[in-house]
Amino acid sequence: MAKSQPLSNSTALRDETVLRRVRQLGSAHDGLREWRLQRLTALALIPLGLYFASSILWLAKSDQTTAVAWLSSPVTALLVILFMLAGLGHALVGLRAVLLDYVHTRARLVAASLLVRAVVVIVAGDSILAVLKLFLGR
Amino acid sequence: MERPLSPFMFPSWYRFQITSALSILHRLTGIALAVGSILLAWWLISLAAGGELFAATHAFIASRIGMLLLFGWSIAFFYHLCNGIRHLVWDMGRGFELRHAYRSGYAVLGATVVLTVLTWIYVLFA
Repeated sequence: MAKSQPLSNSTALRDETVLRRVRQLGSAHDGLREWRLQRLTALALIPLGLYFASSILWLAKSDQTTAVAWLSSPVTALLVILFMLAGLGHALVGLRAVLLDYVHTRARLVAASLLVRAVVVIVAGDSILAVLKLFLGR
Repeated sequence: MERPLSPFMFPSWYRFQITSALSILHRLTGIALAVGSILLAWWLISLAAGGELFAATHAFIASRIGMLLLFGWSIAFFYHLCNGIRHLVWDMGRGFELRHAYRSGYAVLGATVVLTVLTWIYVLFA
């Protein structure tokens, strides 16, 4: 890096040259993809979540036949799969942000992130299989 | 003086503020909803499996504990939804002034209560 005028520590944060020298996302290295995924899934979850929440609260007391009939319709099946995918993607980013704040050693952070990721993938796979089974088997 | 790492400053280092309380609540409800999604997936699986598994799951949901969990889930859901919209508005660069942050915070709390109450009036009495 080219030598420029020496930076005084007290003004370093406000010094334009420091900002200009930051490449890409600076010391954060990554995170823009997660940031966008979190916002995109949040937007998708507004209608999907309202649909799913109203449906399951309505179904909470109904019997299996009603619930199966509900889930066997193609529109419902698609919306429930999309809801679970968007919700779990959103949860993955959010939970990782929590881990980054509270888990301070590298090994534990990697282990916890992998565990969360594994659970999310399993839950997503299970839900999709369950919906597909009902939808295809109707 | 032992200085704490970032987030554990609430009870002893900062005076209570509604804005930071709501921020923490957003995280807590997010974690609760993530855990709740495992139960939702369980419900979908029991539907697909049918038979005894569904009967047992259904009995659990209809029990007091099941209804209480569902009630908690609905509060967490509505709060996270409303406060999430507040966050999306902030992402657009609006509403950062302190009085606006307070006003939108109270609006989120009010909307959560109204949505939860209306939903459960519908679930229990419709």
